[in-house]
Amino acid sequence: MSIAGVDESRTWPAPDRSAPPDELALLPHAQSDASLTAELLDKVLHPPRWLGWAILATGTGSTLLLAAVVYTLITGIGVWGNNIPVAWAFGITNFVWWIGIGHAGTFISAFLLLLEQKWRTSINRFAEAMTLFAVVQAGLFPLLHMGRAWFFYWLIPYPSTMNVWPQFRSSLTWDVAAVSTYLTVSLLFWYLGLIPDLAAMRDYAPERWRKKLYAIFALGWHGSASTWRRHRIAYGVLAGLAAPLVVSVHSIVSMDFAIGVLPGWHSTIFPPYFVAGAIYSGFAMVLTLLIPTRRLYHLQHVITTDHLDKMAKMLLVTGSVVTYAYLVEIYLAWVGGDSFERHMMLEVRPRGQFAPLFWTVIACNCGSPLLLWSRRVRRSALCLFALSLSIQLGMWLERLMLIITSLSADFLPSIAHGYRPTLIDGALLFGTLSFFSFLFLLFLRFVPFIPVSELKALGYELRGRT
Amino acid sequence: MSEASRCNMWAEFATGELALVAARSLRESGYDRLEAITPYPMPELEKVLGLKRPYLLLALVLLAAFVGGGLAFLLMWWTAARSYPLNVGGRPLNSFVTDIPIMFESAVLCAALTAFLGTLFVSGMPQLHHPLDSIPGFSRTSIDRFWIGVNEDEGEPRDRLSVALERLGALHVHRMVEGASE
Repeated sequence: MSIAGVDESRTWPAPDRSAPPDELALLPHAQSDASLTAELLDKVLHPPRWLGWAILATGTGSTLLLAAVVYTLITGIGVWGNNIPVAWAFGITNFVWWIGIGHAGTFISAFLLLLEQKWRTSINRFAEAMTLFAVVQAGLFPLLHMGRAWFFYWLIPYPSTMNVWPQFRSSLTWDVAAVSTYLTVSLLFWYLGLIPDLAAMRDYAPERWRKKLYAIFALGWHGSASTWRRHRIAYGVLAGLAAPLVVSVHSIVSMDFAIGVLPGWHSTIFPPYFVAGAIYSGFAMVLTLLIPTRRLYHLQHVITTDHLDKMAKMLLVTGSVVTYAYLVEIYLAWVGGDSFERHMMLEVRPRGQFAPLFWTVIACNCGSPLLLWSRRVRRSALCLFALSLSIQLGMWLERLMLIITSLSADFLPSIAHGYRPTLIDGALLFGTLSFFSFLFLLFLRFVPFIPVSELKALGYELRGRT
Repeated sequence: MSEASRCNMWAEFATGELALVAARSLRESGYDRLEAITPYPMPELEKVLGLKRPYLLLALVLLAAFVGGGLAFLLMWWTAARSYPLNVGGRPLNSFVTDIPIMFESAVLCAALTAFLGTLFVSGMPQLHHPLDSIPGFSRTSIDRFWIGVNEDEGEPRDRLSVALERLGALHVHRMVEGASE
């Protein structure tokens, strides 16, 4: 489809072959601005037919989440498999896992923007949306795990008639601040970048209702040079603020563990180890979503094999950091002289009743990314998709292993207790997966999910070098 | 009122390169209150227009970060050490170390909100209507059109500027009269 009056025959000078080939590969076909805009916005205006069915299916799956939440709220969290001493189990595992997934979006957007990595342009909006939706899922679990979720506002410091305040010396209150700040800042960052494309959508959409809808969210954007300049600077400032925030959020989540004295938790390596693991699982989730979308929407020239290759290299780097952290954790326990710690790391985890968990974690998180040393694997969408699923499974099991091994066998053998999840635990996990997919599909349906103006700016910049 | 309404003559260009050349030559001929509307950011054009860094906004963001962090500290100090002192295993009531995470989060939150809302406010958004909307075909700007705005001097011969703009490659030139296209 073309815009009325667009001169389709207009061509740009051929790209200069002396420019770095790496960056040229990121420029979608050296298309004209009009045809690039039309192509990318049409993906939103004329969605593929399967999308409606997929939205319906995931929406139906989300009702399972609703049912499980309502049942938990009415009956109490006794319906979960948690017990004493294993008071944290699926709930906190899911929380840490979802929050971890939520790290890659802002990492891609903020760090890679600050480092001027141009390849981020095609995938950043995608990844940021994934972040937002993952944090929404994550937030659900601590609320439910409190048992009386309707008193969640007790976590907020307000002058109550009870005359007590939240205990700010506890790491659990830090979580509240970290997660809510992260959600808000990620939302602002995402929305600020989105405004120019919403304006393009407003001007491009043929129907009147759509124009009106996008006009409301575009806030009257016109794109004067001074607005662009402020927008660019503010976007950079938000990236600068979001970058340390990404690191802080999972560091704080890890302190929920590290501040506790349990064997296997009480370690100073936790913050960097958790941050690396979070970015690792987040990149895996970006690939899980990106690869099917790229294929089903025919976006191979915008999200190129080079993009997948770069993402795979990030997986390899973060996977190596995670492997290193595992080794250091075990080594510290071995030389640390604490017999409980040593027992946990050298006996309970690798040889105890949950040993299959431990070895699956090692296989998925440390073993499978080694395949990424091969260039052929890095450039094969199918292999990457399979690997991304394996890494996500591994990262989820890692958090479960970390939680249930330490809690089920801490200091006194007399209070040791096993753990077994219930159907409701499974329904909550499956329900959040459905709800996450549902939100993500709605995003594909209504929001320009490839940053059009950023791609056009990149095209202009690369043409300028010829 | 946004900057765009300062100019009373608007010229449309088909490419960013043409708009950039036009802005340069207008600038050289002494028109210094120029404005541009583009579908994507063009740093070189910003340089030609002589746009400054938004120092006030950046200073406000920095200030907001300090205020956010400071208020968070005051709140935690007052609740834990003054309003409801609770002895937890003999740990200090006013414990700065455990205040650091929340101070940091609060500083970032306040700075980010200031950067976001400040950018919108200074840019005059949200905005329901803009005078340039009355120009036919203006809505293509967000797709692939580039506009340069100039302020025609009082008493300047009526067609001098528009002819000059057309010679610079403008597709159309519009004169704005009282906030609407002529």
